[in-house]
Amino acid sequence: MTKLAGQVALVTGASRGIGRAVALALADDGAHVAVNYRSRADEAQAVVEEIEKAGGKAVALAADVADPEQAAALVERARAELGGLHILVNNAGITRDGLIYTMAPTDWLEVMRVNFGGVFNCTQAAMGHFMAERAGVIINISSVMGERAWTGESAYAASKGAINAFTRNCALELARFGVRVNAVLPGFVPTDLVDGLLAKDGGKAIKRRIPLREFATPGQIARVVAFVAGPDADYMTGELLRVDGGAAAVLGTGRPD
Amino acid sequence: MTDTAAFPAAIQEAVADALGLDETEVTPLSTLIGDLGAESIDLLDILFRIERKTGVKIQASDIGNHIQGGIPDSEFGDENEIITPVGLAQLKKAMPQIDTEELAGKLPADQVMSLFTVQNLVDLAVLRATATVDA
Repeated sequence: MTKLAGQVALVTGASRGIGRAVALALADDGAHVAVNYRSRADEAQAVVEEIEKAGGKAVALAADVADPEQAAALVERARAELGGLHILVNNAGITRDGLIYTMAPTDWLEVMRVNFGGVFNCTQAAMGHFMAERAGVIINISSVMGERAWTGESAYAASKGAINAFTRNCALELARFGVRVNAVLPGFVPTDLVDGLLAKDGGKAIKRRIPLREFATPGQIARVVAFVAGPDADYMTGELLRVDGGAAAVLGTGRPD
Repeated sequence: MTDTAAFPAAIQEAVADALGLDETEVTPLSTLIGDLGAESIDLLDILFRIERKTGVKIQASDIGNHIQGGIPDSEFGDENEIITPVGLAQLKKAMPQIDTEELAGKLPADQVMSLFTVQNLVDLAVLRATATVDA
């Protein structure tokens, strides 16, 4: 597909997991991709090579998006190396699972700093370019956890709730500049990030609660991101799009068990 | 575009487009905030549109600095934040249409921006364009 031909995308946290899949999906649609990573240079380089092997163009760029200066430098490097910027996917995220009762203040703050801070910093760094062009797409990778509760996920959920609220506000402030801002909210995706949740029984008990009865693959999330990034979604902004196999649609377990 | 003769029409169009008004509703003497109801995000929109149309980059903060002309806050307004005679003389340079006698002693500092007109914005853009060329 070439729906994103001529477009340059920056995907944060793209060395693995959903970010990696998003980078591959956008490249598959024809975009040139800046693959951001914080510490996993080898894995980011592998993503770049995979894109290049498929005939695409990509570059691996190191930056800690929680740091506003590094986020700004990241956006400028992506623009310089790939000749512009049209799509920003704010994906980088961490989690510090734990009960609120015992959580250290530094834990929730670190989650907020990376997850919400990363979204804010990269958005602020890129928005001026988008506004000047009167074009551009921002997609924030949030989570259904931002809308529903799960034991031990308070910090992560709060950070994603912040991203959801920010997405709506950002969509409003950028709409008049022709820039679209949406969030994609994955449900359970078996990546390194959610190892802890799936450790107990391989996730069997969780699967029983998902109407579609399966976890998402990173690729299934990435295809939705590619859709939102592309021209087929050009009237969509301010939207929070759940991709969760129906998990957040049901009341309780959806049955009297 | 360095042809500043085209600036008035381009800026009038930018203001009308950003505010969703007919161009006939936007006159050189219209004040952006007072008459046209522009808010901060409207101003941002206007400035980005001007940049696209004319190539002149004006930051929102540039307008305030332009109006105040480098006069320190302590000399620009008195202890009650009313614009001083020194301040009014400076405002007259940036906004020649104002009646300084009428405003003497009763212009609150936070109302200064509300006097800024479309023509004042054109003048600022022209100033910027020629300054850039000179540099």
